[in-house]
Amino acid sequence: MRWIRPLSAELDGPADLLGGKALGLALLQRLGLRVPLGFVITAEACRAFLRDGQQPARLEHELSSATAELERATGRTLGGTHAPLAVSVRSGAGVSMPGMMNTVLDLGLTPAATEGLATETGDRGFALDSRLRFLTSFAGAVTDADVSRVTAGHRAEGDAETAARAVEEFVLARCGRPVPADAQGQLRWAVESVFASWDTPRARTYRSLNGIPDDLGTAVVVQRMVFGNRDGRSGSGVAFSRDPGTGANSPFGEVLFGRQGEDVVSGRTATRPLGDLAEREPVVWGELVSALRRIEDHYRDACYVEFTFEAGELWLLQVRPGRFAGGAAVRLATELADERVIDRHEALLRITPGHLRQVRTPRIAPSAAVDLLGRGLGACPGVAVGRVATTAEDAVRMASDGPVVLVRPETSPHDMHGLAAAAGIVTAHGGPASHAAVVARSLGKPAVVGVGGLRVNCEADAVQVGDRTVGAGTLLTVDGTSGEVALGSAPVVENPAGEHLARLLGWADEVAGGVGDTADDEAERLRAAQAVLRRS
Amino acid sequence: MNRPHTQDTGLLLLHALRCAGACSTERLRHITGAEASDIESELIDLGVAGLATRLSGELPYWSLTDAGRAAHPSRIRDELESAGARPVVTAAHERFLVLNPELLDLCRAWQLRSVDGVPSANDHRDAAYDAQVLDRFADLDLRAGPVIGELAAALPRFGRYAARLTEALERARAGELGQVTDSTVSYHTVWAELHEDLLATLGLQR
Repeated sequence: MRWIRPLSAELDGPADLLGGKALGLALLQRLGLRVPLGFVITAEACRAFLRDGQQPARLEHELSSATAELERATGRTLGGTHAPLAVSVRSGAGVSMPGMMNTVLDLGLTPAATEGLATETGDRGFALDSRLRFLTSFAGAVTDADVSRVTAGHRAEGDAETAARAVEEFVLARCGRPVPADAQGQLRWAVESVFASWDTPRARTYRSLNGIPDDLGTAVVVQRMVFGNRDGRSGSGVAFSRDPGTGANSPFGEVLFGRQGEDVVSGRTATRPLGDLAEREPVVWGELVSALRRIEDHYRDACYVEFTFEAGELWLLQVRPGRFAGGAAVRLATELADERVIDRHEALLRITPGHLRQVRTPRIAPSAAVDLLGRGLGACPGVAVGRVATTAEDAVRMASDGPVVLVRPETSPHDMHGLAAAAGIVTAHGGPASHAAVVARSLGKPAVVGVGGLRVNCEADAVQVGDRTVGAGTLLTVDGTSGEVALGSAPVVENPAGEHLARLLGWADEVAGGVGDTADDEAERLRAAQAVLRRS
Repeated sequence: MNRPHTQDTGLLLLHALRCAGACSTERLRHITGAEASDIESELIDLGVAGLATRLSGELPYWSLTDAGRAAHPSRIRDELESAGARPVVTAAHERFLVLNPELLDLCRAWQLRSVDGVPSANDHRDAAYDAQVLDRFADLDLRAGPVIGELAAALPRFGRYAARLTEALERARAGELGQVTDSTVSYHTVWAELHEDLLATLGLQR
């Protein structure tokens, strides 16, 4: 086949043809790790689509053949009424463009296939939930709109079938054609929408700012669905082989039981610390920990994976190096050298002056005494301690008596005077480019956004995270680097990687042979060593 | 540009306080484009009607009262329906939502950039980088223009956003770096007010 390759351990080729995601999945298979069967449509097909405005000749035929092969290998049928096959359709470019391109899940769950899945599993609720997930992700991809609005009311009432109809009507109204009743038609349209998502104005802007050529296109990965929403012994999560906040050598991440991966990323639900897996699914945990170790050995670096487990069986869906920053990068490089995974020279070359600039950002000290309330994304580094205010007005009023942490579902211009008065900011929703994040950075205030499961109850003047309730006026500590929100005044450390940094710079001075060790500036000591190493 | 009729200034101010939160009279002038004297007298009327209140402090601010917040939705809905503008505003809101993530990406790029592979605060010492980001702002502004134009054709008060956004961008390009994300008249602030305005006008929750 010209445009499509099976996902296998043998898959090999340039990243700008096959994409980082597919190559990562091939690597996982070479390491003997479990990956859902599937195939990849090359970025060349996307480039042809972008050039000609239509899918290349023969792609449709190849898509049918690849699907037939996947059906044969899995013993299931796409859109079938017995043993239906559902697939995920995900973008996978040669360069990372987080959140820019489309993903469709549970594709193939036509009404008939959904009935088939309900019969096969004996769980109609699961089958309907999966079909609704297909429709919302499909509608989001083909309309570029925020579909959560369309389903919000029905989802709240737990009425998946009405919500599904509302999404179907939305697609028809927006696109002038219905969600295809046949699974192959769904697949063709989904693939086209992923191709097209390469070329949205937003994606073009992102590429322009990050120096990524506009003509690369994206590969598309199609894989058998693994259902994290299957039952109580299923779930999804993300995991780092080491703590990306501190560099400490223990697995770190989040897990959601009974859910699919998009729920982990969306922040709609409070996730659980990765360690919960050890208690609830010890076999999955054991496999995950050994997989992380194997991947780390291969990369000779910390790693990140996305995973789903279905009925107690672990599947890996994505892998990449950890990309640690600041003090965590310093500790990681130093400890990898201690472990003789890399030598000291390589450790020195892995740290940039940019990492050193961030080493001295204050952090919540890792300590058993820290009572962690929740965790989100760090949006503006630094630590703030203050009393909870749930409205901007309260923040302004309370700030005259001492520092305040403003906790909001999300922020809007209404909150500006409260944001200005607060010492720290916490929101339940939004990502690193949300209104709260942008304003916090403009004010230089520590901020954590997108704290999963956080609810702000203005009437009761309290905030809830999971089953814990914290009243206004309670002292909170906010760490805008790690995204941690702790109860009380948590211990703070000014230079969390201090001991590792001192050792690493000692190695730098040895290498530089007295050239750099007179310099006061840490970056200069590192640069002097790197200059020597790069010459040799 | 259409100037609001004098009798609309009260609603204009009520709506500005709803969309932008507590405001000084100077800021209300910037938001509404109305004359300072009109604003003063209309605010006093709103105060007498119990809809707005003056907060004393270092800078005097005006803010909606609970009664003002309660009165706002029906009055702004009446304005929308009597102008027959709901379909236009609904369509423009949807087009705005496509542009909104890109604007937020741009604000993030203005504040943070990757240095040696590490995301770091943009120290604005690299003029070429800043110019590149501002070029993308200008490109976005060109695409936002028609959306605001359609809104203004249906409800003239929306025209202020085009003027304010363009002004912020021009001042930023002339070297006032705070006009992008930092000041109360920055591009990001005005954009966020437009977002809030669309939601408030249509009676939608975020």
